[in-house]
Amino acid sequence: MAQRVITGKVTDDKGNALPNVSVNIKETGAGTITNTEGNFSLTVTANAKTLVFSAVDFAPYEVAIGSQSSINASLKAQDQTLSEVVVVGYSTTTKEAFTGSAKAVNGAQLSSKNVSNVSQALAGEVAGVRVINTSGQPGTAATIRIRGFGSVNGNRDPLYVVDGVPYSGGTSSINPSDIASLTVLKDAAATSIYGSRGANGVIVITTKTGRGAKSYIEVDGRYGSNMSLIPRYSVITSPEEYIALSWEAIYNQGVAVGNANPTNYANTRLFSANGISANNNIWNVTNGADLIDPTTRTVKPGVTRKYDPERWEDYAFQSSNRVESNIRLGGGDAKSNYFTSFGYLEDKGYSVNSNFKRLSGRVNLNHEVKPWLATSLNVSYTNRTTNNNGQEANSNSVFWFVDNIPPFYPLFLRDAQGNKVADPIFGGYQYDYGSNGRKFGSLTNAIADANYNTLRAIRNELSTNATITIKFTKNLSLDNRLGIQYYNDNYVERTNKFYGSAASQNGSIYHRNNELMNQNLLNMLRYNNKFGSHSIEVLAAHEATKYKLTQGTASGYNLVDNYGLELTNAIVINPTANSYANTNRLESYFAQANYNYDNTYFLSASVRTDGSSKFIKGKTWGTFGSIGAGWILSKMNFLQNIRIIDYLKLKASYGVIGDQTGVGNYIAFTRIDVGNLNDQPSFGIPIPSNPLLTWERSKVFQVGTDFKLGTFLTGSVEYYVKKTDNLIFESRLAPSNGYVIRTVNDGLLKNQGIEFDLTGHIINKRDYFLNVGVNGEHFTNKILKMPLDPLGFQKPIDISNAPYGWARGGSIFDFYVRNFEGVDPANGTSMWTVYYDDLNNNKAFDAGEQVLDLETFYFSNPAKKGTLLKSTTKTYSQATQYFIGKSAIPKLRGAFNINTGYKGFDLNVQFLYSIGGYAYDGAYAGLMANGLIGGNNWSTDIRNRWQKAGDVTNVPRLSNNQDANVASSSSRFITKADYLALNNIRLGYTLPKAFIERINFVDDISIFISGDNLWLSSKRDGFNPSTAENGSSSTYRYSPLSTISGGLKVKF
Amino acid sequence: MKLKYLLSVVAAGSALLTGCKKDFLETQPTEFITPDQLGSAAAQDPKLLDGNIAGLYTAMFTVGIGGTTRHDDFGQKGVDIYSDMLSSDMVLAALNYGWYEPVARMTATVDFTRNEDYIPFRYYYKQIFGANTIIDILGGTDAVPTNPKLKITMGQAKAMRAYGYFYLTQLYATEYGDGTKKILPMYKSAEPIPENINRPKSTTKEIWDLMISDLTTAISYLDTYTRTSKDQVDKNVAKGLLAYVLAARGTPADWAQIVTLTNDITAAYPKTTAAQLVYNGTNAATAGFNSVSTPSWMWGVDLTLAQDLDLISWWGQVDLFTYSYAWAGDPKTIDEGLYNQIHTDDIRKAQFDPPGGGLEASYGYNPGDFDYMPVNKFFDPGRVDGGQRNVVTDLIYMRADEFYLLNAEAKARSGQDGPARTALTTFLTDRITDLSYINALSGQALLNEIYLQTRIELWGEGKSYLAMKRNKATITRGANHLFFDGDPFVYTDPKLTFVIPQAEVVNNPNLDK
Repeated sequence: MAQRVITGKVTDDKGNALPNVSVNIKETGAGTITNTEGNFSLTVTANAKTLVFSAVDFAPYEVAIGSQSSINASLKAQDQTLSEVVVVGYSTTTKEAFTGSAKAVNGAQLSSKNVSNVSQALAGEVAGVRVINTSGQPGTAATIRIRGFGSVNGNRDPLYVVDGVPYSGGTSSINPSDIASLTVLKDAAATSIYGSRGANGVIVITTKTGRGAKSYIEVDGRYGSNMSLIPRYSVITSPEEYIALSWEAIYNQGVAVGNANPTNYANTRLFSANGISANNNIWNVTNGADLIDPTTRTVKPGVTRKYDPERWEDYAFQSSNRVESNIRLGGGDAKSNYFTSFGYLEDKGYSVNSNFKRLSGRVNLNHEVKPWLATSLNVSYTNRTTNNNGQEANSNSVFWFVDNIPPFYPLFLRDAQGNKVADPIFGGYQYDYGSNGRKFGSLTNAIADANYNTLRAIRNELSTNATITIKFTKNLSLDNRLGIQYYNDNYVERTNKFYGSAASQNGSIYHRNNELMNQNLLNMLRYNNKFGSHSIEVLAAHEATKYKLTQGTASGYNLVDNYGLELTNAIVINPTANSYANTNRLESYFAQANYNYDNTYFLSASVRTDGSSKFIKGKTWGTFGSIGAGWILSKMNFLQNIRIIDYLKLKASYGVIGDQTGVGNYIAFTRIDVGNLNDQPSFGIPIPSNPLLTWERSKVFQVGTDFKLGTFLTGSVEYYVKKTDNLIFESRLAPSNGYVIRTVNDGLLKNQGIEFDLTGHIINKRDYFLNVGVNGEHFTNKILKMPLDPLGFQKPIDISNAPYGWARGGSIFDFYVRNFEGVDPANGTSMWTVYYDDLNNNKAFDAGEQVLDLETFYFSNPAKKGTLLKSTTKTYSQATQYFIGKSAIPKLRGAFNINTGYKGFDLNVQFLYSIGGYAYDGAYAGLMANGLIGGNNWSTDIRNRWQKAGDVTNVPRLSNNQDANVASSSSRFITKADYLALNNIRLGYTLPKAFIERINFVDDISIFISGDNLWLSSKRDGFNPSTAENGSSSTYRYSPLSTISGGLKVKF
Repeated sequence: MKLKYLLSVVAAGSALLTGCKKDFLETQPTEFITPDQLGSAAAQDPKLLDGNIAGLYTAMFTVGIGGTTRHDDFGQKGVDIYSDMLSSDMVLAALNYGWYEPVARMTATVDFTRNEDYIPFRYYYKQIFGANTIIDILGGTDAVPTNPKLKITMGQAKAMRAYGYFYLTQLYATEYGDGTKKILPMYKSAEPIPENINRPKSTTKEIWDLMISDLTTAISYLDTYTRTSKDQVDKNVAKGLLAYVLAARGTPADWAQIVTLTNDITAAYPKTTAAQLVYNGTNAATAGFNSVSTPSWMWGVDLTLAQDLDLISWWGQVDLFTYSYAWAGDPKTIDEGLYNQIHTDDIRKAQFDPPGGGLEASYGYNPGDFDYMPVNKFFDPGRVDGGQRNVVTDLIYMRADEFYLLNAEAKARSGQDGPARTALTTFLTDRITDLSYINALSGQALLNEIYLQTRIELWGEGKSYLAMKRNKATITRGANHLFFDGDPFVYTDPKLTFVIPQAEVVNNPNLDK
């Protein structure tokens, strides 16, 4: 065997010498590396045919040896992200090879945000993915919407997959610091392998391993403060201003009812049964005449208060601590590796007595037992405690109280002299439960309740997943994986025995226990091979999932110990204790094939058939699938010479995906509730079902491109059309039928949109870099077909989701309301639009001619289209409901990311934006209402109200509830939902290597300071359209908290 | 290498153990029961079938039965509050949480988008659907069951169907008129076939004919039936319902028949005694309208902790002594004008807290806080303000006194003023000390007095609105109303009758066909 020596030089495409490039003989694996000048020298045997050059950040390069003795190579720089492994579906790939749409977010990006639930950290990271933080309660899972709104009444949530297993546990049980990467899959090629559950996107979470690392210990600690930084609604805070407005309201009422002396009417009624209770008069005068100057309509100078009522906000909200620490241990050798972590988090909300604690531990082990047998085991355990006080959607809501209570009502009870009353039970002062005439939230005090009562959930959650991989040959292997998620969630509500709702029962306790057992078993055969430039991967699998959630409740009252949480502490146990289980099953067979020619052309196809226990026999199974193709144009000769185009890939995919998540477990069964009447069974009136119900189907098409232009710009643009038919639609029936909803597979919904994700590498120097990224989406949502009525025609409109109306041609968030036309300058009352059928031909609107519901009217009277006339009415019930041309869907939404660094410093800034949608600001409507005085606070915008004849304004007069429907649902409170939010800033500093090396036991030290949810600009203070799917506000909402924290990370 | 294959077989075997089982994809609910599950259970234990008709009675007080999560949606008694407020005898005396405001200010009755129009509509049609389901199982409207037990079930189901239609006609139609007006869709079967879906409106005559036929059948089928609890419909309840149905039409023959029907009922049931009518300081255990065992109660339900009712209930809305709205700032009181018409020597005047004083002082409230509240008529026996947390005080649907009064009314309308005066006097003897004034009444004045006594006797029981309609009355709101105080309303005023809700108009294309 002849041996000879080959020498050569390796350079980059600019001719610079490249050191440390691996040069290997493909056939034998023997090789060397280049020296600092880029030169190498390698002895080759006769059977060597190909040399392979490879280096980090460069594309591998192969060259035939032939008879050459000198081989020079020029390597082309490669975007690192392209070769990064992306976990998709049941296999891994690289971004380059993937034909679908996947965006990976690495663990470091996620952990730069101080949120306790990984779903919240996704905000702004991925185009077309919307993260809706619905509550400031720490630990709350965000609502995620990927690519529009996929269903009308069915499911719109994505599927979570953790370490290869569809996940049914709670996302807040996952410690974000255990996450190595998170991938969002958006299109059919990416998601259809999850067939049954991928229609609304898939979020694949991969936890860390110790693979390829030398043993390490990593410790990080964070300490921060939570606060309410985003402004709340601007409301009247001065009791004097409030009482003056109240006086004016009664005055206007006097005018409205034709009272001869409205000033006197107001003076005598201000503190009376018809106004504010005399008990709540905080001033040292007894009547309206002594309090209010009727000309200025303000409190007379010199009037003093008996006492200063507390600002409720001061006692409801606090700055509170957030403490987090994690230890991670990892390492491994060629055969085995391990990752172990322990995490502790205590996150207190800014609202009193709301917090989240999490203790978590994880072990991930991988072990190659034999060359043909590998195993892995991931186990994680979480114990978490949530205290949710003050957040119910009722009079226990702290937020309702803070924003809506008129400013003269005190928090603490006052005696006749105005002094606070000591509390003999809990110490301090007694809270005012409003039993002496308070007209807001009387007989309750949400802040007292939040302090004295318990609303607590403790969950123990275990998630494990064990895999055995058997390699039959180099090319064929079998995976057998069992995933289990188990939790027990114990929710306890304790209402104290001394004050509030349970005082008359001497306290009460309610328990709810939920237990989940979700088992997932996967068997998968995988075949890989390469024939010349062709490589293929084929897999075929069977998967089965069993889900069972058992719920039990019990309650009792008359407590022995005020603080005891167990039912033995209750003397009387209610007979309503019960338990039941919800079960569902899924079984699937699927196969996938991926083909790659020369790393230039990529094809993939998958097919999956799923059976769901939610549908009954004959309707159980659905078959789904997809095909995808990718083409890296930049590898083609005709583009090789265009220097600016560094990388260019085109991809397209089409697929059909199913969904069944959105319907109840037993939707196909007629439901009969079982009740107790005289201790005998009582079977409820049946709720008929639709036994024909089956899979919802989405047909998804996408085209997209990934590109890199020179060294300045990387990005991707994708366009998709998603048509969902067999829609799971709660078709409304006329209530006279006796039942009102029939869940059907009908109607057709189309979402189409374009997404972009661009990063400009503005500066990329050795010590200094600046990247600016912007991502965004524009999409439309359109109902192409409404479900058929039982009589066979398409429903003209569905108003069950008011203020939105669903009709053919519209979106699922188009406003169908009465239109507010402003205020009559003559007397300050509201006007609304009325369309009328001019039956008497007098060209004027007369009562009785009004059309109340335009779509239904046109449906019944098609000939009248275009003949109706338009006018205004002052009677709300005469006004017409119609599509006013506004929608909750924005024109453009996404995020800006600025990422810069200098030496060891790095700074990340993330803004979220949304432009062009509208939302119903219901909380504001409540603050602009015209209820009885003392019944609710007002927004400071009430200062713009109509006050005298001739005032031109769009805020109607106050009239102590005399004018009806002032704040009723109408276009008046439909508000531009544009916003710009500063979601995250993080400044980090990594200690220089030179310094670290002197501390020889430490590998890495970094410190950071960061802020989350710091600033929001929206149409008005308090209105935060980013907190709801449709942007609407709620008076009970716990607005997301703001966090400022600092931390330290050390790796040993 | 053999181990490799062995392991593969084990792995594949585990798949067989789970997924490949034939019934793997079949699961059954446990939170509720399906018709199949019920059928199998009943095959073993036929007694269970009684539970079907019980479901209709349970629906009468089920929270949310009107299809909403509102706190005024709890079946028959929820509707009773609506109708008492529309008739103006019940006053929503203050607004705090604000339930019932749109009813009290009559904006709901003219606005078909309001839930107040939807809730009763949904509730009664649901009852009709439930009754039809049972009637279908027994062979349909025209079937005559031979099995005595099934006959009773059929009788009860038909009575409940008539009950549903009766309230619908009262709430959603102005009056019977000449019988030709199309008012409401009518369903006689729940079988899911096209002619039973989205029915067009039927005429008043068609609906009355069905109600009368159903109730007549019910009376006959229930003739020898003795019920086990007062929540069930028996012969006398059916007679009471039929009397109301006929009275709402009001032909001379109807009134004659009502005399007979009410004679039967009054022979079977005593009237409510003075000690049961009003709290006198010592009779908390017998008064309070909170016990179904009261002998005069014909139809009502014994509530226990098992029904799990709390503030969302009739008691929560009306009773000061229950933890809920009446106590927490939305009191329901008697119309001042009606209160003033109660004679001072009428024991029923004491059912209500007098203006400017009364019970408040002993409870530490300010004078006036309880004014006109029915604190001595309806109460939880504990009599602690805001005291009853889980509602176990019973609900009344019908009591004999209604028919003592209707008997007098029927006689008066049949031209028998003398017997009418006697009936009225007999009824009022233990209520009013000086009844001599009755002897001077005749004709319309006598009818007016009977109407007035009906409103007084049955205040807060959901009967005043029915009386207003059949008396074709003009009501005038008293000074303590928050809205329209002093204003008169004729019974035909659109504000006094609900409109068919938008959900029906939008989803029933046949409605006006």
